[in-house]
Amino acid sequence: MKAKLILVAAATILLSYTGHAQVGNRLKNKVAGKGEQKAGEAIDNLFSGKKKNQNSGTNGTNGGNANGQSNTGSSSGSNGSNNNPSNNSGGGLISTPPDVKQNLVDAETAYKKSSYGEARYAVQQAMLGVELEIGNNILKSLPESLGGLKKQVDADQVTSTGYGWAGLTIHREYNDTKDKEIRVTIANNSAWMAGVNAYLTNGGYAQQTNGQQNWKQTKVKGNRAIIEYDESSGYKLSVPLGQSSLIVYEGVNIASEGDMIKAAEGLDIDGIKKQLGEQ
Amino acid sequence: MKKLLYILLVIAASTASAQEFDKNLTTARSSYGSGDLENARFAMEQMLRDLDMAIGKEILKLLPTQIGSLKTDEKKDNLTGGSGYGGGLYVQRHYGVDPKSGQIEIINNSPLINSIQAILTTPILGGMMRDENQKQVKIQGYKSLLTKTVNSETAKTNYELQIPMNNTLVTVRMEDSNEAEIVAAANGIQLAKIVAIAQ
Repeated sequence: MKAKLILVAAATILLSYTGHAQVGNRLKNKVAGKGEQKAGEAIDNLFSGKKKNQNSGTNGTNGGNANGQSNTGSSSGSNGSNNNPSNNSGGGLISTPPDVKQNLVDAETAYKKSSYGEARYAVQQAMLGVELEIGNNILKSLPESLGGLKKQVDADQVTSTGYGWAGLTIHREYNDTKDKEIRVTIANNSAWMAGVNAYLTNGGYAQQTNGQQNWKQTKVKGNRAIIEYDESSGYKLSVPLGQSSLIVYEGVNIASEGDMIKAAEGLDIDGIKKQLGEQ
Repeated sequence: MKKLLYILLVIAASTASAQEFDKNLTTARSSYGSGDLENARFAMEQMLRDLDMAIGKEILKLLPTQIGSLKTDEKKDNLTGGSGYGGGLYVQRHYGVDPKSGQIEIINNSPLINSIQAILTTPILGGMMRDENQKQVKIQGYKSLLTKTVNSETAKTNYELQIPMNNTLVTVRMEDSNEAEIVAAANGIQLAKIVAIAQ
């Protein structure tokens, strides 16, 4: 009997201790949570000078994340897991085309010293400078509007590697700010050329006479071309120029094939050919 | 006498190459000055080819004349420079005669290099592409990819070792060989000097 009593008493003490421990832990967590919250607020105040917007209420830790704008300057979460500040200032990189003349001087100097790797780098830089100039000149020569759509200055782009793999590409977009758009990409020395020339020279790509016609050969201002249509992306018109250049027009929500070709004829194709040195 | 003739030929070739470079440099300068950008670019492409050829010749000088017991025939050396259109520089030297032969190949500034770099530097990709006939080894500190193939007709074993270094890929191939032999051959190549020249 005594033994039973001792056992029950011991169990009661143990349970009560566990209960206390759990309560204690909860209290401890709460205090710690409050402490962390306070610390988080202090850090927020330190960095942003204003109190963090705790609009989530439920967890109190990710409130700022829902609002990307308000979080840009104070991204540190109160749980300490997101303490790295986001970059919200800085001027970015300045686009400086390489100095062609200086790079040719560098190439000559390096070549005379038999530093061929250095000389090659300098020539590549010079070539990059020349290609960017060619690209910018072509961009300037493109019309302000095409097929009734206005040019989007922000989308103008000239890309060059200076040596080969991607070649020189010039990109411009025209749209009506609603749903119509024509994208023009002019590529020179590009790997794209192989694919398009295969279309034009390989008899294997025979034109279909039945079923859905998705592509066919056509002409734009006397230049052989390929026009394709895809329900999701619209029209695509590829016009190879000479040996190594290509113009690709992509038209979204253009009413018909005729409209697409008429719009494409708005470009001075002969002028572009001349600037790219194509015959 | 033969050696003297060879040296004279090398000097004559390098002089001609220098003249080409100077000529193209003059054309590039004058065309750029007159606003003929396309012609300037064309001249620069030729300059890149001239430079590729010069780099290739320097690399050939560094390649061993013998790997293992296989001797080279320098007349079969192959050198192509094609920077302008993405081909990059290509240097090839043959050793021995069939069926016991080998090759050292160097590709510089070519997009081919990236795929091998990816396998060697991305453990997860290397793991996915696990192949019992392929393994990674280190040659003079460079991570390299060793591939074994067995000729189904002759049952002889061939090896290929690819060593990517920055923008240069060195490939050693040996027919009817073994791992130790190809690794020894690769260790005989002056890799660091080749990288420095081709950089």
